[in-house]
Amino acid sequence: MSGLGEALRESAVINLASASTMVVDDSPFALELTAQSLMGFGIRTRHACIGAAEAMEILRDQNIDLLVVDCDMPGIDGFELVRWLRRSGLEPNAFVPVIMTAAHIRRSRVAEARDCGANFIITKPFSAATLLERIVWVSRDGRPFLEVGDYFGPDRRFRKSPAPGDERRVDLIRKKAFEDQKAQAAAGVDAA
Amino acid sequence: MTVITHPRRRSNLAAMIDSAGGVSVGVALARARANTEALRARAMAVIDEQIGLLESLPPPTGPDDASTRLDQAYRASTALIDAAAPFELAELCRSAAGLCDLIGAVDPGAPFDWRIVTVHARSLRLLQALPPGATAERDRIVQSLSEVIDRKLAQAG
Repeated sequence: MSGLGEALRESAVINLASASTMVVDDSPFALELTAQSLMGFGIRTRHACIGAAEAMEILRDQNIDLLVVDCDMPGIDGFELVRWLRRSGLEPNAFVPVIMTAAHIRRSRVAEARDCGANFIITKPFSAATLLERIVWVSRDGRPFLEVGDYFGPDRRFRKSPAPGDERRVDLIRKKAFEDQKAQAAAGVDAA
Repeated sequence: MTVITHPRRRSNLAAMIDSAGGVSVGVALARARANTEALRARAMAVIDEQIGLLESLPPPTGPDDASTRLDQAYRASTALIDAAAPFELAELCRSAAGLCDLIGAVDPGAPFDWRIVTVHARSLRLLQALPPGATAERDRIVQSLSEVIDRKLAQAG
């Protein structure tokens, strides 16, 4: 039930009652809709913020376990907030699971959405089941965090099978070189 | 390019999600839907308000206020999606998202055919007023809006 896109089993039991959750949305009504869905899942919204500046203040002082943030906000938007958080050096908040929600993402902002460092972005309309699936998924998200150029966040590569063409992923190239080396060494020992 | 890998530590959520107690997924979803349903009347009022805002937006008088007007139309459309999304009002969401797609694709300073906003406002109002059973009418409205958007997006490149 933890796989991306897998439906949750109705009988599965989850316990997120003690999660310290922050919801950030400039629309008080959208914020309430999100908070009420979370409440149904047994997750109390400890910090409800109607702007990124308010969220930043709290994130500097208090540890949270889950951040749900709207992408499009006036002033500091959701992408900037998440990018700031990932680069903030705040432990452990910089590594907190982040789900972003969006009514719409402008074409010009798709790259920012990809590069801000969120664990997942869900676009509306989405069902309560989708939101819960994503929360369960991010809670079990085992991807390492990467710092690559300007990017700091979970490894964005979901593909498990080899990519078409030559492998370009540095860590996989290194891993293969290491394994080849090990195999050669083992073959050398066997030959001796 | 240098890649620094931080091994992922187990999140607090991962530790607590399987701990004793909690709630079944079925119950959690039923509660979430009930909580959301209690906000339906307010959501409908927000939708009504945002359609009214779109209807009342005057066309830009020149290039200077075009971006402000487009931004207002965009914000009204996204606020409508925010309110309609949990209530399976897919046609309203799709139509509003189409307008957002078009506004988002416009180059700043490029001319914008404001009639699109007017047509969307009227169509959204009609979609809102149609009874739930009027599926064919809804589909027709959404389809024709979608065709207009596709044409305009093709023109915008």
